[in-house]
Amino acid sequence: MTSKDQQYDVIVIGGGHAGTEAALAAARMGAQTLLITHNIETIGQMSCNPAIGGIGKSHLVKEIDAMGGVMALAADQGGIQFRVLNSRKGPAVRATRAQSDRVLYKAAIRQQVENQVNLQIFQQAVDDLLIENDCICGVVTQSGLTFSAQSVVLTTGTFLGGKIHIGNDNYSAGRAGDPPAITLAKRLRELSLRVGRLKTGTPPRIDGRSIDYSQLEEQPGDTPTPVFSFMGSRELHPQQVSCFITYTNETTHEIIQQDLRLSPMYNGNIDSTGPRYCPSIEDKVTRFAERNQHQIFIEPEGLQTHEVYPNGISTSLPFETQQKFVRSVKGFENAHITRPGYAIEYDYFDPRDLQPSLETKAIQGLFFAGQINGTTGYEEAAAQGLVAGINAVRRTQEQDAWVPRRDQAYIGVMIDDLVTSGTIEPYRMFTSRAEFRLLLRQDNADLRLSEMANELGCLPAKQWQAFSEKREALETQQQRLKSCFVQPGEMGAEVEEKILGKKLKHEYSMYELLRRPEVDFEKLQQLSKQDFSSIPSTVKEQLEIQAKYAGYIERQNLEVEKLSHQEEVKLSPDMNYAAINGLSNEAKQKLMEIKPHTIGQAARISGITPSTISLLLVHLKSKPVQKIAS
Amino acid sequence: MPKFIPPTIVQKEPICALATPPGKGALAIVRLSGKNAYAIAKNITHESLLPRRAHYTAFYDANDGIIDQGLATYFQTPSSFTGEDVIEFHCHGNPLVAELLLKTLCCLGARLATPGEFSLRAFLNNKIDLAQAEAIADLINSTTEQAARTATRSLQGAFSERVNSVLTQLVQMRMHIEAHLDFPDEEIDRQQTTQLCKQLTLLEDFLDELLQQAKLGERLQTGATIAIAGKPNAGKSSLLNVLAQSDVAIVTEIPGTTRDPLSADIEIQGVAVRLIDTAGLRETKDIVEAKGIERAQQALAQADLILWLTDVSSDDSQAIPKEIDVNKVITVHNKIDLQEASSLNDNENIYISAKNHTGIDELIAQLALRLLGENVLSENGDTPFLARNRHVIALQNAQQHLRSAQQRLSSANELELAAEDLRIAQQNLGVITGAFTPDDLLGKIFSEFCIGK
Repeated sequence: MTSKDQQYDVIVIGGGHAGTEAALAAARMGAQTLLITHNIETIGQMSCNPAIGGIGKSHLVKEIDAMGGVMALAADQGGIQFRVLNSRKGPAVRATRAQSDRVLYKAAIRQQVENQVNLQIFQQAVDDLLIENDCICGVVTQSGLTFSAQSVVLTTGTFLGGKIHIGNDNYSAGRAGDPPAITLAKRLRELSLRVGRLKTGTPPRIDGRSIDYSQLEEQPGDTPTPVFSFMGSRELHPQQVSCFITYTNETTHEIIQQDLRLSPMYNGNIDSTGPRYCPSIEDKVTRFAERNQHQIFIEPEGLQTHEVYPNGISTSLPFETQQKFVRSVKGFENAHITRPGYAIEYDYFDPRDLQPSLETKAIQGLFFAGQINGTTGYEEAAAQGLVAGINAVRRTQEQDAWVPRRDQAYIGVMIDDLVTSGTIEPYRMFTSRAEFRLLLRQDNADLRLSEMANELGCLPAKQWQAFSEKREALETQQQRLKSCFVQPGEMGAEVEEKILGKKLKHEYSMYELLRRPEVDFEKLQQLSKQDFSSIPSTVKEQLEIQAKYAGYIERQNLEVEKLSHQEEVKLSPDMNYAAINGLSNEAKQKLMEIKPHTIGQAARISGITPSTISLLLVHLKSKPVQKIAS
Repeated sequence: MPKFIPPTIVQKEPICALATPPGKGALAIVRLSGKNAYAIAKNITHESLLPRRAHYTAFYDANDGIIDQGLATYFQTPSSFTGEDVIEFHCHGNPLVAELLLKTLCCLGARLATPGEFSLRAFLNNKIDLAQAEAIADLINSTTEQAARTATRSLQGAFSERVNSVLTQLVQMRMHIEAHLDFPDEEIDRQQTTQLCKQLTLLEDFLDELLQQAKLGERLQTGATIAIAGKPNAGKSSLLNVLAQSDVAIVTEIPGTTRDPLSADIEIQGVAVRLIDTAGLRETKDIVEAKGIERAQQALAQADLILWLTDVSSDDSQAIPKEIDVNKVITVHNKIDLQEASSLNDNENIYISAKNHTGIDELIAQLALRLLGENVLSENGDTPFLARNRHVIALQNAQQHLRSAQQRLSSANELELAAEDLRIAQQNLGVITGAFTPDDLLGKIFSEFCIGK
């Protein structure tokens, strides 16, 4: 029997990026939530490179932010170098990246977690899950303590069955220095879930005092400093510093080539798949042998430490070789390695065994989020945590799961990709994964999601108010732009010629003028007697983007509408596809395996043809549909 | 959850198809169903159609040229076959007219229906009895099998090779652009915009050529129009008669052709060809003749080939009028029986005597060559592209988006918009060759560029 104070609505196992967002979202929604971690000190830890955001990833961060999550705000509080990537390209592919002080970032997350109403923390490893009739009811910790809950979110990252490789040495381990969760991994392997193995690597860390920065290319942050969170501000930012860039050279490559047989990836010790977009330096040197240099991006680990993260040389070569090749790099001649680089292999669960809510198909009430699902990256993990946390609560309230669609959020793209297609390498977000890229911009994440978040109950009241004000201003100003006209010669023909290249021949609405590529708000101000100075800059930005992208947005919206019928038709998870007349064996097998939730998802399974979809529709119409388990 | 019953009729994207059997008949019915069907019909007929009323009206193409005259009937949702807004167009039973009408509908936002799609929609909107479900399922199955077989056939040989070649180039371009967008910080060998523009131009040319060939293949199935034009008394009508009666040609009566009183349907190397004799072109004050000339000019604009007939015995100027597209013209020099000197035929000039039937075989050989291209005629040549109308439409859409991408590319700020156009262009080609996923694209990027810090 568990005592009353060990009963919760939602238990989250793991205090990483997925775990914290899951626990915080659940607690914000009013659920009594327990976050169990084996070490409270590691809550919010960045275990890989010290940066939040980047292309595709910052889109996720802004979406989490728009849903009331904390990642963006913590990045504002911990960010020591901010840049907008693709700033000279269009708004859909612009992205924010914050190099972060690990300590400050972690502190910001910890502070949120500790001060969140309805959320409690407990330190101990979880060894077992309590499951009755394929339904989760609680967890047992290492020392035998039992906690019960209707929903459990598992966010164990790379801890499951972790194995670290440095050269020919390998040993079981969790993330750098932490113990692996072997007992839990064993327990999970007993469940009817498919398990796969992935690998990832890290570069050696270097003591910044041993680097000769004078030889390196400096990369300062952007000015004015970009702000990550919709609720953030520049005042939150700590002191700003620079990153640096250096390059490997032919000597480096020779050293690596010579010792390649000592790399576990090349001598057969590792055969799991690593990410294509984050190859080790061994891989780069081998696969792109024609290149005589590779970039190394030197990221500061924090303001209070000398340690730096040389991004671009992740390796599992023996320590001696690491030292040799590092010291062959310009500026690293006397480099002191503080922690060797390593490759880590870990278990992941095939995400095709998940429902889009991130609940496992096998065990009701058990949710998986983060790297355990085969993804990589803090942002991907946090986004899943948010969704799992929300749905864990909704399950306890017997409400339908909430999952954003592919046209609503990158979060929706990621989850749909994972549960529909699975993954064979650590899954990372890229903008090219989103077919509705022009709709899914980081600038409009709040407009896409905050209202939904408010309905779900996971948006703080203060944020809802700020958002509502912004949206109202946007609507008012858009109306104004469409209904106010600029008369020819209003501010003099010379101004018109200077800005537009020719005089205005007749009146134009301000909206029409703003649609032109050469006109922004500043130029519009020069053409008109109206005063725009009181419009907040975020509103101006939004108005400009909406006006300039209008045609393309409209076309993507049409495409969305075309597909929406398919998304609205639900498929029951207990549908017996084998019994449907006319389906090919391949289609039957695939549908039985994935058990798609909607006709739309079914259509995205590789190998499913339009005629299969038609047959499914006919079948649905002729047979009563069972209730979808929620 | 209750039984699956849609609360209201769902109007989906507009689709169109020929509802009558393909081929010649007295009438052909083209059906249009779905959202905006009414608005599209208004564009075609220039009329506000009343529900359940047959309107006698002209059918206009995108440039307001008249395609045909016939009946249009509007069936308002939910009282229609599919339950959606449906318009039926009754036109003359000439395959060319129906094709043209379908093409226009596709320009206006409809797409060609897939096999059984009208019935499927009818079924989903509770317009067909449940007992018919199985029958429809069978229909979908059998027709897709058939379509699949046809598709495989049409995709054999040169056509699929060429489409795939365009695709490969397109993927290559997308790979570069997407790498620009997703990996701005990486050291990848960036192609400059000017370079990409140049590639895009090449790709457009390539696609253009492919489109011409696909149209040719389509012609194999749907037939071609050849207009005979020239000054009065050049011998146009005699040529028509000779061609229509020659051994290689088969004369058929054309029912319902009130617009082209002087025309004949023949067959050249398996291609159905409609020959049209146009009024002699000249300045005139006669209103009736002027009307005839206006029609002739329309016919010339729509024809696939024009035989410009000259009289070698005449001293008057017989230059090709500048309104005529010279690329479509074969100059046929008639009445060589009245002249001593013999002249040599080439691709643009054929010398004949309609009176003595001299040179007719050579003319027909030249027509076959122009209609079908060299490959088809050589015995060991490729199988002709059995391109379908939907292939041609897909290629045209792809081409349009390539052009748009070209424009977007020239302005560096709009790289992501160019990317969007290229994505859609590829989606259109995918209609012909099959799907391509974003992950395939990422795979290309990672295999080609060294990405990853």
